[in-house]
Amino acid sequence: MMQYLVILLDDSSVSYCHCDNPHKEHHLIGLDDLRAGILYAMKQNLMIQFVYPDYELPQEYLDVIDTIDHHDIVPHPMKGDVVVAKDLETLTSMQADAVAVLRIGKAELFASGEAIAAILPKVQRLNIVITDIDTFTDDDLKQYNSLLSRLNEVLKEEYLTGHTPQLNLLTDRMMLTKPNHCNAGVENITLAPNGRYYFCPAFYYSNPDDSIDPQAIPNQQLLRLDHAPLCRHCDAYHCRRCVWLNRKTTLEVNTPSHEQCVAAHTERNAARQLLEAIRQKATFMPEVEIKEINYLDPFDVRKEW
Amino acid sequence: MDLYKIKDNEPAWQSGMSKNITFIVTKDCQLACKYCYLVGKNVKERMSWETAKTFVDYVLEHEDEFREESVVWDFIGGEPFLEIELIDKICDYLKLRMFELNHHWFNSYRFSFSTNGINYHTSEVQSFIKKNREHISIGITIDGTEKKHDLNRVWKQPTADANGLTQPSERGSYKDVVKNIPLWLSQFPDAGTKVTISSADIPYIKESVLHLYSLGIHQVNINVVFEDVWQEGDDARFEEQLMELADAIIDGGWYQDYACSFFSEHIGKSLDPERDNQNWCGAGRMLSVDAAGNLYPCTRFAQYSLRSKKALIIGNIKDGINENLLRPFLTLDRITQSPQKCLDCEVASGCAWCQGENYDAAQTNTIYERSTAICLMHKARVRANNYYWNKLYRKLELEGRREEFEKNERDVKPEIC
Repeated sequence: MMQYLVILLDDSSVSYCHCDNPHKEHHLIGLDDLRAGILYAMKQNLMIQFVYPDYELPQEYLDVIDTIDHHDIVPHPMKGDVVVAKDLETLTSMQADAVAVLRIGKAELFASGEAIAAILPKVQRLNIVITDIDTFTDDDLKQYNSLLSRLNEVLKEEYLTGHTPQLNLLTDRMMLTKPNHCNAGVENITLAPNGRYYFCPAFYYSNPDDSIDPQAIPNQQLLRLDHAPLCRHCDAYHCRRCVWLNRKTTLEVNTPSHEQCVAAHTERNAARQLLEAIRQKATFMPEVEIKEINYLDPFDVRKEW
Repeated sequence: MDLYKIKDNEPAWQSGMSKNITFIVTKDCQLACKYCYLVGKNVKERMSWETAKTFVDYVLEHEDEFREESVVWDFIGGEPFLEIELIDKICDYLKLRMFELNHHWFNSYRFSFSTNGINYHTSEVQSFIKKNREHISIGITIDGTEKKHDLNRVWKQPTADANGLTQPSERGSYKDVVKNIPLWLSQFPDAGTKVTISSADIPYIKESVLHLYSLGIHQVNINVVFEDVWQEGDDARFEEQLMELADAIIDGGWYQDYACSFFSEHIGKSLDPERDNQNWCGAGRMLSVDAAGNLYPCTRFAQYSLRSKKALIIGNIKDGINENLLRPFLTLDRITQSPQKCLDCEVASGCAWCQGENYDAAQTNTIYERSTAICLMHKARVRANNYYWNKLYRKLELEGRREEFEKNERDVKPEIC
């Protein structure tokens, strides 16, 4: 069931997910389109998430935005519910009560283990988005494992002292008993500055011709978990199951790439280790069980289902 | 005493255990059949020896990625025998390299051809057959009576259109094909022919199948086209034709030595969502290469096969296969791609689909939307099929042969694509 409407207020609105925003020019959504989007959300009972560019909006836009309950996704140093960092350095100066998002390539990520470890005790929640996850190699996997092990050490100490920072890559799976995917096109859709609707911002960024009619989405069932042959058997519950990445890498929205699955299972297994480490010292999340498995890509064991 | 027998539909060689690897050696054909799904046939795209050799090297030198017990090296077109010299060279090279590499396919391979039969008698083709006799399967397509055959299987016009595409003429090809049937059957007595039924062919089904039997063809593999070509009332006409065919086969005693794939005891049953969830089509488990060196999950995904979608290329002979692009094919199942009406269908078994046609007809760029254009035709087939088996079993019962038949019946399941 549709629950959220993401509204990109400008072509240069900040990207908070896997896909880069190639648009650099400022181009605000039309006021009429903005009003129409809000009206649509009100009628469909959708919570709106506005996504901002890095400049101050005209007052008339702010007035329209203020007509409805919403969440704000903003670039640093703006204030919002979700704040997207420009880089690692800006993370340290972020507001404490916001969700912080760090978009980062794998090479920089692997080189930044200590910096991230130092930041973790200071944040409430950090979402790390690896922007080139589709290029993961076996060697990357080893480095990723090392990074997650290092971050596990920090998180374990924090949790045992009663401070429970959230890191999407590790603590989400530790808390989940069922899938928590992005569900673009099923639970949320996006209104772009051109006044057209998309599954998510990435579909607009990568091809503006990929728009949809939100009332009649062809093959919408393929976006649902029950129509994803691999994912419906998978317990990497924290995985975003990004349908844009799926389509980019396998040409099908319901099929993830090998690299996505391996990265998600590496995180899953690290979360399992974190959970066990914490439980060695304290009672913690007794309802969660993460089983030991002998694969990183569910595709490799598909014949066992 | 001889066992009482009924001719079963023949299973394919090494069914289910072999890798099908297809060379699209040319996109040219002498014919321009009106029902042909190859909408982009042309005279320009002919495979070079360099492309074929590079592809063979790629496949044979990546033995770990191709672990099937056996291989069927398939050659199609257009018309493959237009490129018999190239094919001969490829097959020689395949044999040589499989031997040199001590490849596990060396003792388990076949060369397979689907041909229009026009060049079958030529010295080049005959010489090739003689050289590879123990490892060849050849199917000649003949659609039935001259009238039925020539309805669709016509020669192309001598010149292509402005886009380089072939166009149909009015000249039928029956006489050019039928003259080669005796030679073919003398070399491959168990060979079958493949008959395709489109809307206009329905009135000729019975006489065509019987005609093929009379030519000495014991196995008639016949199917309706998957494309959405059907007219209102076609299903009733189809059912009537199949019932007449059933009467003729049973009353004439043809069922003892001849088979028609329209009639199978395995079709028309409901399917279990878990036990019967496998994909029908073999796309993705097969591999095709074209003249440009592009790789496809099946030839039906090459551009010349597609009306409305872009080719779905999964790699090329230099870089190999992009395994991520194969994942959707290898995880496809019946439930995920089928609409609810198919899942609820009480006569679902044997209802086939073609992944390439599904892709071509889908609302979005997906292989996960099953086309149901043949729905009414399948249901008509099931009704006629039920009639066939009820009538046949009653006849056997009255003749006191039913028990004997059931005891000796082979369990032949419908072949997947």
